[in-house]
Amino acid sequence: MRSKSWFWLMGLVLILGISGSPAFAHHGWGGQGTENFELTGKVEKGVSLAGPHATMQVKDKNGQVWDITLAPPARTDSAGLKESTIPVGATVTIRGKRNTDPKKFEIKTERVTYAGKNFDVYPDRL
Amino acid sequence: MYDVLAWLETSWLGHAMRSGGVWTYGVVNLIHIAGVATLFGCVLVLDLRLLGLWKAIPLHAIKVPTVPMAKAGFIVAAVSGSGLLAATATEYAGNPFILIKFPAIGLALLNVALVHRHPAWTAPATHAPHGDAPRALRIAAGLSLICWGTALAAGRMIGYW
Repeated sequence: MRSKSWFWLMGLVLILGISGSPAFAHHGWGGQGTENFELTGKVEKGVSLAGPHATMQVKDKNGQVWDITLAPPARTDSAGLKESTIPVGATVTIRGKRNTDPKKFEIKTERVTYAGKNFDVYPDRL
Repeated sequence: MYDVLAWLETSWLGHAMRSGGVWTYGVVNLIHIAGVATLFGCVLVLDLRLLGLWKAIPLHAIKVPTVPMAKAGFIVAAVSGSGLLAATATEYAGNPFILIKFPAIGLALLNVALVHRHPAWTAPATHAPHGDAPRALRIAAGLSLICWGTALAAGRMIGYW
């Protein structure tokens, strides 16, 4: 290939590379704090194993509803946490990392404790 | 916007995506990526040929594999993508990348429709088989890369919002 063609091709790759680089909060752990965070409250919306990540919602004692991001569905399921495991209204403790944005009430979860049982969705992080 | 997403989430497709087991989303996501890769790969090759690369290869010889494969890739991506969106549609309300991605796809498809009606595109294969593509097609190829590239980038970024 001639050098002019290479120039165009590399320019295009560069543009796509820059436009694709994640310069902001990642769906992984990048947008979360590094301190361990614990929340105890009542299940507002039960575990859902649909979508890219399993989710649930927990209401704390002040009435604030928190978005609980769990692991991907298969990992959450294999940690023993099924959609039917924890009933709505049950008291649970969430351990994980809070979103770095203080306006977002979201926790990316490592462990869910319910009725004395631990569901470790990220056991290697505990 | 929210109403449309809520309708999609409660549709049969949304229910099917959520009730199909823990691997459903991942597998549909895989199919979506395969569709997008097929579509974008073909678009890239065809548009770069129109922009002046590989001039020794007749344009027609590039069109023959890339156009039908791009169509197939688009259909696979659109069907699987509808499923991904329907699974948790309301969670994407207010996601700015959705508002970039879908208009970009709309413009890209408009560009496709215009190109396919253009005499320079519909001309027989024997007409100007080698060398530079007509100016109108070169411009369309540039617009195509911008639109599809934007759709690709915005689509990937949806999950990082």
